[in-house]
Amino acid sequence: MNTMNTINNANEVLVECQSVWKIFGARSSAAAKAVSERGLSKSQVLNEFNCVVGVSGASLQVRRGEIFCIMGLSGSGKSTLIRLLNRLVEPSFGKITVKGKDIASLNAGELRDMRARNIGMVFQSVALLPHRTVLENAAFGLEVRGIAKDKRNEIARAALEKVGLGDWTTRYPDELSGGMQQRVGLARALAADPEIILMDEPFSALDPLIRRQLQDEFRQLTKSLGKSAVFITHDLEEAIRIGDRIAIMKDGMIVQVGTAEQIVTKPADGYVADFVAGISKIHLVRAHSVMQPVDEYKRLHPGANLGVLLHASPEADIAELIDLTMQSDRDAVAVVENGAIIGVVTTRCLLRGVAGTSTAAVDVG
Amino acid sequence: MDISVITDTFDEWTDVILSWISDNGEGLFDFIRAVLEGTYDGILWLLQLAPFYVIAILAAALGSRLVNIWFGALAGLALILCAFMGLWAETMSTLALVMTATVLALFIGIPIGVVAGFSKALDRVLEPVLDLIQTLPPYIYLLPAIALLGYGPATALIATVIVAMPPAIRLTSLGIRMTPREFIELGQATGLTPWQMFAKIRLPFAIPSIMAGINQSLMMAFGMVVIAGIVGSGGLGETIYGSIRTLDIATSINAAIAIVILTMVLDRLTQSAVDRAKETDR
Repeated sequence: MNTMNTINNANEVLVECQSVWKIFGARSSAAAKAVSERGLSKSQVLNEFNCVVGVSGASLQVRRGEIFCIMGLSGSGKSTLIRLLNRLVEPSFGKITVKGKDIASLNAGELRDMRARNIGMVFQSVALLPHRTVLENAAFGLEVRGIAKDKRNEIARAALEKVGLGDWTTRYPDELSGGMQQRVGLARALAADPEIILMDEPFSALDPLIRRQLQDEFRQLTKSLGKSAVFITHDLEEAIRIGDRIAIMKDGMIVQVGTAEQIVTKPADGYVADFVAGISKIHLVRAHSVMQPVDEYKRLHPGANLGVLLHASPEADIAELIDLTMQSDRDAVAVVENGAIIGVVTTRCLLRGVAGTSTAAVDVG
Repeated sequence: MDISVITDTFDEWTDVILSWISDNGEGLFDFIRAVLEGTYDGILWLLQLAPFYVIAILAAALGSRLVNIWFGALAGLALILCAFMGLWAETMSTLALVMTATVLALFIGIPIGVVAGFSKALDRVLEPVLDLIQTLPPYIYLLPAIALLGYGPATALIATVIVAMPPAIRLTSLGIRMTPREFIELGQATGLTPWQMFAKIRLPFAIPSIMAGINQSLMMAFGMVVIAGIVGSGGLGETIYGSIRTLDIATSINAAIAIVILTMVLDRLTQSAVDRAKETDR
């Protein structure tokens, strides 16, 4: 029954924002009204009301089981946006629903309950209570829910084991390294068994090696436990490593939402393109977005025999395609879906894919 | 019109009000005196239960545990010196006065400080009041107290409580207000009730500051208890006051030494408790 539900609800939307605004400042409510009535822009709001727009017109959906990354530089509004999702920040207007329920309608008790049970949060600062042991910290969420000590310690110990800190339960936070502290933070969120975990730049302060390790562990853990997560980061590579989908924020607005491949191959504007420029494409760009249509290949290579080319799936990334090309004595690989050749990846296509100019639609000499 | 008419009228009113309070509030002040003297007598009785060397050994043990072995030994020897100067009873009276006053000051001051930590409005009202209490010369508080409670330890205690309270209020309020932002956010995101937020987040972070407040209150109480010798507080303060009147310099110096010893022993002991609280709050 339960598994059936999970399967049926694979595309269920857990968290949804519909054109949400957050305006900070003394006259924020007047400014919010003006925005909704007259459609003011961010700079107009600043000039007219002396209010700062934190988040402007953000809409997004987080589905069950999905890791949704929000990427933006500091000041882009990403930290405000994630705090809107559990109402640590009240929206100026717009609607936010969690599991189909409008969170603006919750009273204080219901809001506490939602935060305690449905939405966990992990902070960049970790915020481990210094006077409590690792185990007591991990059990904190259960403790405030009034769960008996034996029971909550058992759950917390299991959560600590999941993050690889089973032997550290009696230590104090200051005896742990930064990476380990952040693992305790994650264990604390997991122990409460929420469906959604909000990750507010959790790995930003860690050194690169530990960060990568934690990114992989986090993704694996979240997927194996079937949790959904909203993950804030200022690092596009981190977003690509972790996220199923990525939203790029700039000046309080979401400028693009898509999978890593979509964002890297089809940046929505110059801002995103600049970000993407430095990203290695070989594991992101897939055959279907660089291949040449069969007709065109035949036109350019009259007499070529498609039958002798090696086959690749449309989902093969550039690294795999390069391997295949190296193995064969031809300079092209056929892309095959359901037994039919749907396109051809030539060396030129590969170079274009690595360089980052998108699609095979451009002229092929 | 002569200005002195206004001030004279004011003084007259003050006298009238004070005697009205004293006439009509007799029951209340009798009660307050009973509570103060009862607590003081109780603590003094406890302290006098043991002979001086037992107290000295206790202080030495506590000192070497909380501070270090040298301090412990010194504290024990110094207290024995108090006994050999023939001032043991007075020393214990002073200790009892300080403890009673400090406990009462904390009993009132810490809760007020907690509320002030949450309420900006109360804090704004308290700030000038506490400033006033701390800038006025402390023996000012003896005058209304002696009018209402009469000569004796109760008056000394009330005045000492007033003087010892401000640091406890200030530092408690500061500690409650200084909770790091990220931990408030943690509490909110975890779904804490307001009471849980206070008990599990704000209070633990405020403990070092509250402990510092306790230490400061204690020091203020020591200063005042000596001054309160004038109103018959008993203890070393009265010994000093008496010996000043008879120009008995030797006794007054002995009593002063005993006060310094007592103050330093209690200061170091509570200071080490403050340091410990800070350390667990690394």
